[in-house]
Formats: sequence, structure tokens, C-alpha cells
Amino acid sequence: MVDKDDFQCDFENKWCPGCGNFGILNAMKQALADLEMPPEKVLIVSGIGQAAKTPHFLKCNFFHGLHGRALPVATGAKTANRDLNILVNMGDGDCYGEGGNHFISAIRRNIDVTLLVHDNRIYGLTKGQASPTSERGFVTRLQPHGPRSDPMNPAALALSQGAGFVARGYVGNREHLTGLIKQGIEYSGFALIDIMQVCVSFNRVNTYEWYAERVYDANRAGHDENDFRAAMNLVFEDKEKIPTGLIYRKQTVPFSDRLGRPGPDALLREKYNPDKVQNLIDSA
Amino acid sequence: MGIDVTVKIGGQAGQGIQTVGELLAAACHESGLYLHGINDFESRIRGGHSFMQLRISDSPVQAPDHRVHLLVALNERTLDTHRSELAAGGLVLLDSESERSDTSVLCVPVTKLARDAGGAIMANTVAAGACLALLGAPAESIKAVLKAQFLDKSESVLENNLKAAKSGAKAVEGIQFDRAFKWPESRPAGKLLTGARMLALGALAADCRFAGFYPMSPATGIMANLAEFEDRLPLVVEQAEDEIAAVNMAIGASFAGVRAMTATSGGGFALMTEGLGLAGITETPLVVINSQRPGPATGLPTRTAQGDLRFVLHAAQDEFPRFVFAPDSLDSAFEIMIRSFDLADRYQVPVIVLTDQYFNDSIAITQKPLEAPSAIERFVVDDADMDDSGEYRRFAVTESGVSPRALPCEGRALVMVSGNEHQEDGHISEKVSDRIGQMNKRHRKLSGMEKQIRPPRADNPDSSVLLAGWGSTAGAIRESAELLRAEGIDAGAVCFTDIWPFPAKETAALLDKCSRFYMVEQNFSAQLGWLIAERTGRKFHQAIVKYDGRPFFPDEIARRVKAFEEGANG
Repeated sequence: MVDKDDFQCDFENKWCPGCGNFGILNAMKQALADLEMPPEKVLIVSGIGQAAKTPHFLKCNFFHGLHGRALPVATGAKTANRDLNILVNMGDGDCYGEGGNHFISAIRRNIDVTLLVHDNRIYGLTKGQASPTSERGFVTRLQPHGPRSDPMNPAALALSQGAGFVARGYVGNREHLTGLIKQGIEYSGFALIDIMQVCVSFNRVNTYEWYAERVYDANRAGHDENDFRAAMNLVFEDKEKIPTGLIYRKQTVPFSDRLGRPGPDALLREKYNPDKVQNLIDSA
Repeated sequence: MGIDVTVKIGGQAGQGIQTVGELLAAACHESGLYLHGINDFESRIRGGHSFMQLRISDSPVQAPDHRVHLLVALNERTLDTHRSELAAGGLVLLDSESERSDTSVLCVPVTKLARDAGGAIMANTVAAGACLALLGAPAESIKAVLKAQFLDKSESVLENNLKAAKSGAKAVEGIQFDRAFKWPESRPAGKLLTGARMLALGALAADCRFAGFYPMSPATGIMANLAEFEDRLPLVVEQAEDEIAAVNMAIGASFAGVRAMTATSGGGFALMTEGLGLAGITETPLVVINSQRPGPATGLPTRTAQGDLRFVLHAAQDEFPRFVFAPDSLDSAFEIMIRSFDLADRYQVPVIVLTDQYFNDSIAITQKPLEAPSAIERFVVDDADMDDSGEYRRFAVTESGVSPRALPCEGRALVMVSGNEHQEDGHISEKVSDRIGQMNKRHRKLSGMEKQIRPPRADNPDSSVLLAGWGSTAGAIRESAELLRAEGIDAGAVCFTDIWPFPAKETAALLDKCSRFYMVEQNFSAQLGWLIAERTGRKFHQAIVKYDGRPFFPDEIARRVKAFEEGANG
């Protein structure tokens, strides 16, 4: 029996009071407890940013690496040991900006990890610049007229690249988010959960109130997550409403099953066989 | 000196120059001869001009010779470009249907003969047959080689090629070639391999299980060779979306517990540098091969250089311990790969192996047996090794600087790792005590690492003049010292394979015995020379540098040293 409190960690939390990240952290703990996954069976890989600090604030194994590069690290780790349960925490700048190419490639590899993108449409750690998901006209000190680029559509990009699990959550709806994280972890293959998160310090536009007026549960509204066309239509819906929930799910072959390796054992667990290696070298 | 013959085969890319060279090399290898072959090509798939230069000998050879004895010109351009390299008594074999008045040019209708045998594609086989006949090889030698070459092709392919080889030999029947020699009937002296293949075999022997890479000349060959073994060993070779991903994947795999590597050239290494630092601060074992080519930026993609030494010594911001090795031969490449993976694990540091296009693409014959280690020690701990796994601290401060390394999710001990500066348990810390404690801990590893470093190999170390260099140029440097000795100059050679941590004491002791030493390097500024100056206070007399992208010839080094020596003494 795993309890949410088992993840309690006494390392000082460094987020701002009221940060949307707390909601994600709590939902993660609840999801892991519900799935009976104890801290020692969880590996969290993260990039750089406020989101990427997440693993420091719950008990788990973690690798807190470089800005944008969490997915390649997770890919290497999962390839070495397919038994690992890997969650990846990244921010919108981390994942969609600095790590954009890795995001696309992780989808194509279908690496079996659950990616939680703390998407608050702003750079928090560097104190308030526009991010890849900021809207045009979103004024910051660095972008006095707003960003010149149009915002990215992560869910649409993921769908277009063949992602088998695409979800959108909202920190203001904790239980719903917990459910999505659970489904993401249970999914065999790459699972994207793009989480509408609130930055109370720097984003004065996309606030709790702003989201409350727009967010709705698409699945409850009748969206069929098995229907690719419907999913595509959903993620291109009018921006005045923000559909959340499980946007799309299909069965896929995860990367670990694409390696063509003879045995089912994790790479890590195979024994070194000096005679075999010697034979291969001798006949090379 | 016994047999020492150089054959140069030149033509357009796509004409199969390498095939001719490989057939010749295989025939020499089979009969117990030694050889060394360089590949020279442009950054294009078809056309242009490329050549392979094969030096054949009855004793080990580690460098190309500047004199060409047999020039196989598959086109006119080869004749024009390389004619001046012909040694006295040298011969040109030109693919031509018309005769020439010039007696040193032997016209053989190579392409026509191939067509007659069944297809122009076999021109390589015709040329190889002709070359071997000119060199006095027994007729059977090409047969065995062709059989091995076309093992998995249909019977008729082999038949046609045998016919082609025979017609090549027949075309030069009765031609007296001064450099023909009596072929030994020994067993192969060692394995015939390229440097790239040897690096891959070294990685296999070291139990490397993950390799992330992004294609880049001249490193791609290493990964292509490694991928060949994917189905037979616990090994995954993954082509990444870029070099940044490649190095981070290798770090992830290593963190999870398998030995991991990546290979690239200077430009790719530049992209990997932040990852290198990540391996440094997270103390994740990592092996990175940088196969150098001239830069900066794209530079000369298919040429050779030793311009990245300073770069790899300092790559990534701030400081952390690392090893830098540069193999000086096939045998040393195999050994260095095994050592690199072992030392990366033992000290939890990144290891950089510096090779170059000349080393990767050249073929030669091994001189030592290639032995896979009987066991692989991983230097990892698990719960059973701990008093209280709940209290495990990945970056515990220790006297040696090496902290016990557990693997994630392999026990109750939580493995927490951060690229931020951290406290002992792996959590981020900005405390002065943690910063100083972790920096000091990481750098304390250096005293253990220094003990693993082997001093440079010295040949005739008591000579008054020493020629010093590093990595792949060792063969040419040693031979040039021999050439100088034959001309009455008291010269020796000092060649480094282990470069960082720098073996300062041993180097100073070696250099103190000579009157002066020269640096021989394939870069602009004599990078190792200045490193020696910095670490030992000993300054080189002159630098023999070459940065045109082409490998050193022993004679070229000897001539340049001699010119300085004559200046110094006269």
C-alpha cells in the first residue's frame, strides 16, 4: 500500500507561494500512490526551469539535467533499463523551445515515458519572458509589443507526429489532472500531458480566473479520444474555450519493443559474456 | 630493409578505388605481409579525385611512404596529379585502350577487359589482378581473396570476377617490374582493420551497451562498425536527432547503469560540450570519441587534423576532472577503449578519446592479440553494501573524491542527481560549504586519476634531439627519427597517448635528457608543445606543424627537422 505521504520530502520547496506547480506536484504524488508505485520505483527526469525542479520536492530517484535535454536523458535511461518507470517534468520553454527537436523525436521513437509539461505560457525562472506558448500581444519587459512569433500548438504537433497519448490538464482541476497522469503512466508508449499551469508571479494574463472562464472537460462534453480527426478538430478549436482531458489515445509499439533485441531482459540485466565477445572480435 | 613497396590507386569517387585497395590489402594480409593504407577523398559521393595509398612491407609499418612505386591511374587526372610522386623505377598502370611512347606508363584497357569479363563494374578486379601480377604475387592469392569477398554472392559473380582478375594479370604478363618481390607464404601477421573498426571492437570488448550518435565524418564509421554487432550482443546503437541528444542519451543510459558512449567530430563535439559538463558535475561515466578533422565550423570534412587538443582539454564551462587519450596505433586504440570505459566507471568522469580522419580511415595490421577482458568491474553499489539505504547520498564526500554509485530504482536507496551544484544527497544547494565541498571532492579524484596515466613512449630517449607528438602521428614520427638516425642525426621520438591528466613529471624527466626537442603536430600552433611548456616549463626548439588536412609522411618530418638541425649546427 503506497500512500501519498510516502512521497513527502523535507527538502525545502523553492517555488513561489500559490505557484501552479504545487497542484501538479500533488497530482503526481496522488497518481503514483493510487498506482501503488513507491518512491524507490519512480525515476523522474527533468530539464531546467521551475518545472524541472519538481523532482527535488518529492521522494523519488531523479536526474535533473540540462535545459531542454530531459527527453534524450530519459531515452537513454529507458533504453538501458526498460523496467524503469519514468516521468519527465519540463516547462513550456524547456520542452517546446530549447528541447523542441527532442520533443518531436521522442514522439517518433515512442519512448515509454510520461511527459508532464508545466505549460504556464511564460519563463518563470528567468523572471518573465514570453515562451513558445505565449499569445501574440502578450507584453513582457523583453517583448514590449508582445512576441513576434505565433504560439505553438503542442497537442496538435504531438498528434501530427503520431503520438499515441495526448492529454491536456489544468492545475485548477486537481482530480481530473491526477486521473490523466495515472492514465499517462499506465499507457505503454510516449504520453504527453500538456498542463495548463498558472504563474502567479509573472503571468498576469493567463490567471486562475482566465482559465476558469475557458477550461472545460472535453471528454465529458462527448469527445471520443479514439477518434483522430475529432482530436485534431478539438486542438484547433476556437481559442475562447480550452478543451482539457484525454484528447487522443491509440495503441502503439513502444521504443523498448522496437530494439529488436533477442531477449526480454533489460539491457542492464544481461550478463557480460567474455567468450562470446572474444569470438565476435576474433571473427570480425 | 626488405620489402617496402607503395601502391597508389587513384580515380573518381565511385570508381571503386577502395575496392582495388582492399583486394590488394587482403591478398597481402593473407600471405603474412604487413601493410598500411591511407584513404584520401573529397566530400562528395561521385566524381572529384580520390585515392588510396597502400604501403606493403614484410615488417610492421605505421605510416605512409611519400614515394609511389606503382601508380594505378583509373583516369588521366590521377596520372597528372600524382606522376611526380613516382619513385625511381616506378611504374604507372593507366586504364587506357591506346598505347603510349612513355615506357613508365603501362596502358592496360582495364575497363574494356572488365566489360569483356561480364561488366564494367569489375574494373576494380581487373586492376587488382594486374597489380598483384606486377608485384609477383602467386596467382592463387587473388582467388582466395575474391572467394572471401563474394562469399554471399551468386556463383556467377565469383566466376566473372575470377575471369576479370585473370585477364588483368594476363594483360601485364611478361612486364618486368623492378619492385616485384617474392611473396612469403606465412599466416596473417595480425588482423587487417581500419582505425574506426578497431575503436568499435574496443568498445565491444569494454562491454559498451549503448551508443548514441549523429552522423558526422570521420566518426560515422565507428558507429557503423558497432551497429553490426547489435543483434548479437546486449547493445543498442541509436542515431539521435542531433549531437546534443546523442550525448544526453549516452548520459541517461550510463546513469541507468550500462556503459555508454558517443562518437563525433569537432563540430559535433562543440554541440556536446554542455553535455560533457553535465557528465562532469553529475559524475556520470561517459566515453566520447572525437575523431578530428580540420575546422573550424565545417572545415575540411574528409581530411585529417589534430586541432582539437586544447578544445577537448577545456570543453564545457568551469572545471571538472576528465581523461583525454589519443591512440597511436590500432593496438593502442583497442586498449585505450577498454581502459576508457573502465576509468570512466572507476572515477565517474567523462573520458575523451581523440582520433582523427587519418587514424579512422586508414587500414593497418594489428601486432598484439585482441583480448576481451575476462570480467567487467562496474564499481557500483546496491542496498546490500549500505548500512542504511534510506540514508544513501549519491555525492557523499569521500577522501578519494569518488562517492559510492548506486543505480536508480535498483534498490531502496534513492539516487538523486542534479546538474545544479548540489549537496551530498543530490539536492540543489547554493550553500558555500556544499559548493566548496563538492568542487574539492570532484577534484580530489585527480590524484587517483594521475596514477592511471602512462608516460609517453620514448624511442631512443637518450638522443640529443627528440621529436615529440601525440596520437595518430606516432608512426610517422618514430619512422622519421629512424630516418634521421640513418643520416647521422642522433634523434629519438617521444609519443603521447595519455594526455590528461598530463604526465608532467615523467615528461620533464624525459625532455631534460635531450639537447632540444621538436614538436610534430597536425595543427597550427603546436598545441601539445605549449601544453608541455605550461605543465613542465620545457619549451620546444621548433614546431613541425602541418594543417593542410593531409597526413604526415616520415620523410617530410625528417627533412624539416634536418633543415633546422643544419641551421642549428652550421
